[in-house]
Amino acid sequence: MLIKCEDIRRYYRVGTEEVHALNGVSFEIGKGEWVAIIGQSGSGKSTLMNVLGCLDTPTAGRYWLNGKDVSGMSDNELADIRNREIGFIFQTFQLLPRETALGNVELPLIYRGLRAKDRRDRARAALEQVGLGNRVTHRPNELSGGQRQRVAIARALVTEPSLLLADEPTGNLDSTTGQEIIGLFEELHRQGHTLLLVTHEPTLAARCPRAIRISDGRIVNDGAGPDVALAGRGERARAAAAT
Amino acid sequence: MSLRVDLLEGGRIAVRSLGVNRLRTLLTLTAVGIGVATLLAIVGIIQGLNGAFDRQLASLGTATLNVARRPFVITGDWWRYRNRKQITLAQMQALAQQSRLASAVVPEVNEDGRELESGSETVSNVDLVGTVADFQKIWGYEVPVGRFLTDADSEAERFVIVLGSEVAEQLFPNRSALNASVRLDHRPYRVVGVLAKKGQILGQSMDLVALIPFKTFLAVYGKRDFQIDVGADDPEQLDRLEDEVTGILRRVRSVPPGEPDDFSVNRSQQLAETYQQLTSALYGVAVGVGLITLLVGGIGIMNIMLVTVRERTREIGIRRALGARRSTIVVQFLLEASLVSAVGGAIGTSFGLGAAKLVSLVTSLAAAVRPLTVLGGIGFAALVGLFFGIWPAARAARLDPVEALHYE
Repeated sequence: MLIKCEDIRRYYRVGTEEVHALNGVSFEIGKGEWVAIIGQSGSGKSTLMNVLGCLDTPTAGRYWLNGKDVSGMSDNELADIRNREIGFIFQTFQLLPRETALGNVELPLIYRGLRAKDRRDRARAALEQVGLGNRVTHRPNELSGGQRQRVAIARALVTEPSLLLADEPTGNLDSTTGQEIIGLFEELHRQGHTLLLVTHEPTLAARCPRAIRISDGRIVNDGAGPDVALAGRGERARAAAAT
Repeated sequence: MSLRVDLLEGGRIAVRSLGVNRLRTLLTLTAVGIGVATLLAIVGIIQGLNGAFDRQLASLGTATLNVARRPFVITGDWWRYRNRKQITLAQMQALAQQSRLASAVVPEVNEDGRELESGSETVSNVDLVGTVADFQKIWGYEVPVGRFLTDADSEAERFVIVLGSEVAEQLFPNRSALNASVRLDHRPYRVVGVLAKKGQILGQSMDLVALIPFKTFLAVYGKRDFQIDVGADDPEQLDRLEDEVTGILRRVRSVPPGEPDDFSVNRSQQLAETYQQLTSALYGVAVGVGLITLLVGGIGIMNIMLVTVRERTREIGIRRALGARRSTIVVQFLLEASLVSAVGGAIGTSFGLGAAKLVSLVTSLAAAVRPLTVLGGIGFAALVGLFFGIWPAARAARLDPVEALHYE
C-alpha cells in the first residue's frame, strides 16, 4: 500500500464554531493506482488533499505514506517528506514568476541539496519528458497556460516522488489544453506513477480507473471512476427532482 | 538540507531580489548608509583628535614629574590646596641632594598673560617662566639661535631673556632677535636665545613663551610660590621616581605618617586622563547619535522586509510545499535583510570616510579612519540588518503553507 488512512479527522476553529472538515476518513491506495477524489466545494476534498500532501496535519487519525506514519511527524520531517515523496500539481500552477522554466523545475532539487550540474541535468530531462525541451529558458509569463502546467508537472516529476498529487489541474485551462494535460496523466499512469486527482468535475473523474466521492467530510462512494462519477450525477438529479 | 545549501540558495535569492525593487532597495539602504556614515565620520574625527593629542603629549616630555602645591587637574574643593604650605628653596635643594633617580631638579615659576615690547612691536598673552639651566634638558627645548639660560644668569639675577619662536617672530619680523632689547613689565631684558618651534597642544600655542632666570623672576615679581620639575633618566622609572620624590618631600615638609600629602606630584599623563574623561563623554553622545540614526535605518529595513514577506507570501508557500524547511525560509530573509544593510553600510562607509577626510582638510583636526573601522562599519550594518530582519523572517517562516499557497 502506498497510502493508508485510518479515521482521519480535521477540525478547524472558526471564531467560536468548530468546523469538521474531515469527519473520519479511511481508505487505502496502492502503488501505481490512478484515483480521483471528487466532491463539491466545501465537501472536505481540499482539506483531504492538504493532509495527504503533508501540508496539513490531521486533528486525529493516522496516515501512513509509503510505509511511514506521517501523522505524528515534526514540521521539518514533513518538509522532507513533501520534498521526497510528493509531487504537487496545482490549479494555479504555483510557479515562481521570476525564475525560468528550468529554475522552477530545479527548485525542489535545491532543497534536496543536489549540486548545480546534477540539478540542471535532471530538470532538463524532466522538461523534455513533458515536451518542453525547447522552452527551458522561458519565464512563466512567456508561456501559455498549458505550457505552465507542463512546467509544474515537470517540477513534480523531477524528484521521482512516490505520489503525484494534482489539485484541479485543468481548472484554469481551456478544454482542449485540459484534454492534453489529462492525456499526459494517462501517459504517466501507464509508466507506473501513482496519481491522485482532486476535482469537482465528474467528466474528469470518470476518466480515472478509481474514484472516491467526499461529502460533508466523509467518504460516500468509492469505486470504479465512471460509476462513482455517474452516481454523483444521479444523486444530484434525484435531489433536483425532489425539490 | 544543510546550512550550506540554505546559505547558498538564500544568498542567490537575496542578490536577485535586490534588483527587483530597485528604488525601494535604494531608499532602504540609504537610511542605513546615512547611519553608518554618521557613525564613521564621528569615530574618524575622534580617532584623529586622539591621535593628534597623543603625539602632542609625547612632545611634552613623558619623563618629567611636576611637584606643586596644587594638582594639574583640580577636582572637588580647590581651597584644600590653597591652604597648603608653600614649597621652599630649601625643600627643593633637599630633593636635589637626596634623590638618586632624578636626572635634574629645577624650579619653575610662572606669570601668565604678560606683554612684551620691542620698538613699536608688542606681543601679548605671553607665558612667562622663571627657571634655571636644566629646565632645557627636562623639557627638551632646542635653542637654534643663541643660548639657553644659565645658572649663573639666575645667581646674578641678570635681565636676560629667551624667547619662544612665535614671540621672536612677532617682535622681530625682519631681523634677528639675538642681543636685541625687549621690555617686559617696564624693565629691559637682553635676548640671549630663541627657542625652536613646538607647535600647538589642544589649540594652544606652545611658542608664545618667554623665559627669564629664576632668581631674576623672584626679585622682580616677589613671588615665592613655585613648582619643582623633576626629570627622570628613564621614563620607565617614573613610578619609582614618584615614590622617591614623595618620600623625600614628606620628610622635609614634616608630614606626619598617616596624614595625606600636603603637595601634589603631577605628570603630563594626568592631562591625558582628563582629556580622555572629557572626550569619552563627547564620544558617547556622538556615537549615541550615530546609533540612533542606524536604529532608524534598521527599522526601515524591518518595515521593508515585512512588506516583502507579505508580497512573497505565495512564493513562501510554494517553497514550503516543495520541501523548504522553516529554517531555510528564515535564512533566506535574514540574508536578504543583511545584504541590503551591508550594501547600505558600504555606501555609508565611503561617505563617512569622505566626510572625515573633508573635516581634516577644512579644519586642523587630522581625522583618521583605521582600515578596521571600515570593515567594522560594513559588518556592523550587516548585523543591524540581521537583527531587524529577525522578526520579518520569523513571520515568513511561521506562515501556514496551505494559507500561503492560496494568498492573493
